[in-house]
Amino acid sequence: MVTTYLRRIYTSFATNIIDVPPRLLALLCFLLLLFFPITGPNQLLLFVLIYANLVAIFASSWDLLVGRVGQMSLGHALFFGIGAYATALLYKFYKLPLWVTIPSAIFIGVLVAVLVGFPCLRVRGPYLALISMAFPLILISVIFYFREWTGGENGIADLPRFFPTEFFTERGLSLVEAIYVQQVAEYYLTLVLLLVSAIVLYKVANSKTGIVFVSILDDELASKACGINTTKQKLLAFAISACFASLAGAVYAHILTAVGPGGTLTMTISFLPVIMTIFGGIGTIYGPIAATFIIQILDLYILKVPVNVPMEWHPLIFILIIVVFVIKWPRGIARFVVEDVLKELSKEREIEERGKRIWKKYKKKKQETTESSPEG
Amino acid sequence: MHLLEVENLTKRFGGLTAVNNVNFHVDEGEIVGLIGPNGAGKTTLFHLVTGFIKPDSGTIKFKGDDITGLEPHKIVNKGLARTFQVVRPFRHLPTIANVLVALQSPRGNKKIEWLKTPERKAMEMLEDVGLSEMMLEPAENLSHGDLKRLEIARALATEPELLLLDEPFGGLSPIETEYLTKSIERMHLDGHTIVIVEHKLHALMKLARRVIALHFGEKIAEGTPQEISKNKKVIEVYMGKAM
Repeated sequence: MVTTYLRRIYTSFATNIIDVPPRLLALLCFLLLLFFPITGPNQLLLFVLIYANLVAIFASSWDLLVGRVGQMSLGHALFFGIGAYATALLYKFYKLPLWVTIPSAIFIGVLVAVLVGFPCLRVRGPYLALISMAFPLILISVIFYFREWTGGENGIADLPRFFPTEFFTERGLSLVEAIYVQQVAEYYLTLVLLLVSAIVLYKVANSKTGIVFVSILDDELASKACGINTTKQKLLAFAISACFASLAGAVYAHILTAVGPGGTLTMTISFLPVIMTIFGGIGTIYGPIAATFIIQILDLYILKVPVNVPMEWHPLIFILIIVVFVIKWPRGIARFVVEDVLKELSKEREIEERGKRIWKKYKKKKQETTESSPEG
Repeated sequence: MHLLEVENLTKRFGGLTAVNNVNFHVDEGEIVGLIGPNGAGKTTLFHLVTGFIKPDSGTIKFKGDDITGLEPHKIVNKGLARTFQVVRPFRHLPTIANVLVALQSPRGNKKIEWLKTPERKAMEMLEDVGLSEMMLEPAENLSHGDLKRLEIARALATEPELLLLDEPFGGLSPIETEYLTKSIERMHLDGHTIVIVEHKLHALMKLARRVIALHFGEKIAEGTPQEISKNKKVIEVYMGKAM
């Protein structure tokens, strides 16, 4: 009964507004996120959503690399950390403004991806996973070694914010109000960044370059036999992925106004996109984004607000979710919704349209014959 | 100058000499057959020529250039394409996208006619091998015979001067074999030089003008199909020694 009701709503929507089902769904979700802060001041949820926006960028960039090119990287935190540390160090030593440090952090991230990619992409499968896992851990050691510059485990604090509080207090807002408005502004900034990066990643994944990427995932040898320089293509995918991961890292550093190795370079951060992508649907790009919001909000309202499970337990619960999902729904939640439910719903519409088309053709033919018959 | 020239090619896997001191050449416009019993080293020879395996010694020249030990994709971009014995489609991609991958290679992209989109050209390539109805079907839904033809369409998309077909008739029904024989003849008329490795001698003898026989990695005979079918050594290898 529910499905018939849903189907009726869906068909009336889809035929009138937008033809592609995932696009309609994505639009609805985006509108929901866009108008969310109007609903009322909820600072905790707002902060979780800001974080979710950044993690979504991070996770979908990982999905391009793993879901579309098949390069199993388990050390994606490297780029997140490099983005965060690069912008922090550039600010600490050169006092550069935000709009200089973040692009340079992205540039450094891409540069490191190319350097790391050369040795990494010569190996395949589990070996690549192992090698890539090592790089963020190496960077942690480097950060601890150069303690006087990087601050060691304390990290670097007092980074500038995107929208300084003074900007709002000078315009007559009280401090509490200013902080809230500032947070809302940051929320919209990250949301726009998420939207832009999601569109870019999705377009890349479905472009002709994306086809070449999938050919490497399916059969690298056959791809070589088609004349594709697979090493170059893999490096390109690595660089694109690193670009968005370091963007997420750099913005994260300025939202938090501090960086430390714990929140940017540990295994937990490396596994964050893995969790999101497997939950959402590997290779879909939009899957991890949906999964990030679902998991972050569930995490807040089930594990933090009512019972307050200690932070250390959260990854364990996530891993359990993954195990269940890998066994039960390996295709992920987004793929289930978009490919199974929506396709089932749109089948009826398709048949209807086909019928209309045939009827039109038939009518046209009849007209032609009636027009031509008096002459002949 | 020969189109392809292989000199003293040798490849060992541990104690096994898969290809031993093989010399042969292919001229422009030929259809050359490569026969031999299982384990004769035919596929290894193909892998060596197309750069998937590096030879221990010997040289391979294509259009006068030394291509020994080059990366496979570089060799393809010089105009030497191959198909695989076991079909290797891109299973997640639609049939047309399989061809589009080859059209994204430097050579394939360059050879697209003026004012033609890659998609248009891919559609034509699929029409040529008779797969235009399966265009948007994922490659994993195609039958084995269709996949064999897709493989050939993909190789042709890079506009090769020399096409190496590794057992194109393997696992095909007699009707499919006939169909494929015809399309290979058509490809030959279009100006492609073709080398075919095959077990099914019947189909091969119809196509090839010159046949090279391999046994345990060594060339044992070379000549027209008629000569080869009467050659004592070849008969011995295939049928066993006469009592």
